[in-house]
Amino acid sequence: MTALLGPGAVSGDLDGFRAHVAEWCRTHIPPDWRREQTGVDDEEFVRFQKAWLRELRDAGFAVPHWPTKWGGGMSVARQIVLYQELARHDAPRLVLSFVSLHHAASTLLAAGTDAQRERHLPAILDGEIWCQGFSEPEAGSDLAALKTTARREGDAYIVNGQKLWASGAMHADWCLLLARTDPSAPKRRGISYFLMDMRSPGVDVRPIRQATGESHFCEIFLDDVSVPAANLVGPENAGWRVAQETLGTERGLTMLELAERLGNGGFRWLVGQCARPGPDGTRPLDDPLVLDRLAALETELTGLRALCTDFVSDDGPGPADASIVKLYYSELLQRLTDFATEVAGLTAHTELRKPLSSGWESGAWVLDFIGSWEWTIPGGTSEIQRSIIGERGLGLPREPTGG
Amino acid sequence: MSTMSSLSSLSSAPHETDELRELHDELRAVASELLGKTGSDGAADWHLIARAGWLGLEAPEAFDGADATFAEVAVILGEMGRTAARGPYPAVAVLAVGALNLLAPEAGRDRLFRDTVAGSVVPVVVLGGEPGAETPFRLTPAEDGLRLHGTAAFVPDAPEADRLLVPAVDPDGMIAVVDVDPHAPGLTVTPQPVVDATRSFGRVAAEGVAVLPDAAWRFHGDCRDAVRRLRDRAAVAVACDSLGLSEAMLGATVAYAGVREQFGRKIGSFQAVKHACADMLVQVTVARKLVAAAVRSQAQDAADAAVAASMAKSYTCAAAVDIAGKAMQLHGGMGYTWESGIHVHLKRATLNRALFGSPAAHRKRLAERYASQAPDVSGV
Repeated sequence: MTALLGPGAVSGDLDGFRAHVAEWCRTHIPPDWRREQTGVDDEEFVRFQKAWLRELRDAGFAVPHWPTKWGGGMSVARQIVLYQELARHDAPRLVLSFVSLHHAASTLLAAGTDAQRERHLPAILDGEIWCQGFSEPEAGSDLAALKTTARREGDAYIVNGQKLWASGAMHADWCLLLARTDPSAPKRRGISYFLMDMRSPGVDVRPIRQATGESHFCEIFLDDVSVPAANLVGPENAGWRVAQETLGTERGLTMLELAERLGNGGFRWLVGQCARPGPDGTRPLDDPLVLDRLAALETELTGLRALCTDFVSDDGPGPADASIVKLYYSELLQRLTDFATEVAGLTAHTELRKPLSSGWESGAWVLDFIGSWEWTIPGGTSEIQRSIIGERGLGLPREPTGG
Repeated sequence: MSTMSSLSSLSSAPHETDELRELHDELRAVASELLGKTGSDGAADWHLIARAGWLGLEAPEAFDGADATFAEVAVILGEMGRTAARGPYPAVAVLAVGALNLLAPEAGRDRLFRDTVAGSVVPVVVLGGEPGAETPFRLTPAEDGLRLHGTAAFVPDAPEADRLLVPAVDPDGMIAVVDVDPHAPGLTVTPQPVVDATRSFGRVAAEGVAVLPDAAWRFHGDCRDAVRRLRDRAAVAVACDSLGLSEAMLGATVAYAGVREQFGRKIGSFQAVKHACADMLVQVTVARKLVAAAVRSQAQDAADAAVAASMAKSYTCAAAVDIAGKAMQLHGGMGYTWESGIHVHLKRATLNRALFGSPAAHRKRLAERYASQAPDVSGV
């Protein structure tokens, strides 16, 4: 590691760390990146993302949430400061490697073998891109109904099926794959978890155009793809458990950054938006109804940030805390971008493209609002989260299952 | 049972040290037992409350207090909300003790502090529960001292007070706190019955009440700031109450939905019911974070105490009405009966929402901070 700032490398208080991050932001964030990254092609987007990852990695800021051994180990208090300053200075976000840095890493750390960690964790820091092959056309909210099969043949598994909603799959080097290894077992007990090389013969990726007009979700067609048995994560047929254990905890960690982004970036912009005079010369800030909504949103954002901080700091989070955090963030993002769209008026509708590499609140409010369904639907819809909260958090009786 | 234990485990904030957490858990358990015995039908015995040490939590040791902080008082307040408890505890522990701590040492103030902690006197600060001027009371000079004039409505627990502490603007334009006997000539306390039967309010009117010079006490810091801080304490205290009653309503609803059957199923297995309960838990969880932050900044007298108070008060007191309302809805016909008692919490939640600043009033205060914002052009 060339990290200038590993854990504890800078002694002193949080204020000193904050000043250090702020100074780094002033000297490293590419000026005018928003304008330059608006409307660029995929190739330029990938180049920019990989370059930005290298910058953050070299500063020790890319994977603060990883264990010390792998280049992380930053205290939660410092992580919050880091994310606050990155948001405040309007740094680009690591969009392309989001699954790599969070989902892939947490799966490898929690359930991977030493060889798998050695192979992939340093590679991820060098820019290896991952996607997630979980959902299928017939397995959305009912993920355990997935039909993709993996049949053992010698030292490999032969995989056949179709995956859907794999974000960033067209740029991915590797895939976190769930496939059925025992078709006769009850549906949750016949699934295994694999690491699949996306360059394997038989892997065909087709982007899907989504509601915002962008195409970062993909279909993945798998036709007799050979995955070495050494790429199995956890025991055979234990894939469902591995996915449950790694994703719940992961959800909270990713939210820490997003909550600080929404609180320090999104809200600040929204207030700035409200300070702009409209066509009739008046500012939304002069309207008491607008002020009331802003104060309500700021209050909710303060609650969200405390929720995420406590979730990450707490040794024993409750069984539904991850779902509470995901549900609350998603719906708050939707409320905030909805309100911003309303306040910004018709002018907001002339922003036809989002700056790539920006957050979920890019300031192109209409597209941000449309894009907020990318939070309330994937990763367990808001309805599924409410059922989890009711059943695991409150102990309410389960819904009778059909068929 | 499993539900209640998982609910209470969520309520301990990770910011608390283990030692503090243990202390708060113990305090909560004692409060739950002491207040639970009386429920919402009557007030717990004042001497029991004094003996439990609750009145002196924030008082200095010199006055037989525990030298603890608002965080400990907040635990009791939450339990009072949970049980919809009656009695002047919030008025005394939050406002009277708060005021006494902000007043400069003086023989009369010191004596009253000690008596308050001992439970031998019930002092009430005359701060109205509605927004208004810093204080509606004035002191005017007279030959033999001063005269007190003014009227305040919706003063919590004024009818139960045996001493009144009246913030009043003196002839020099400073705010002093006047120690008055509620039965003094020229002073009237008129009870103001409200729909929430667990609460007591009075209208306090002073028409030239004679005040001896040594009964007008001074704050040791900025007097206007002191009054603002008392109002913030009051707002946070009401938020604690609303949080406690929200938790109680969620617990009761979850318990009911787990036993009541319709269409051959427990009603809690229906998504319409389950998802409503999930939303209640989300609101309670967010409210806990905001209340914990507000309590912490009160206890530490932090710079952002006013902001945290307004956020906690506006969010929690609005959410509590939603939650108690949903509790009534999900209990069905049973929930609408007098006997079920849900109405007690719903009425209390509704009153809390209006007490010491509506959600809209607190949000207005928060929004004053946006006025200086420049148009942000770097955004897009």
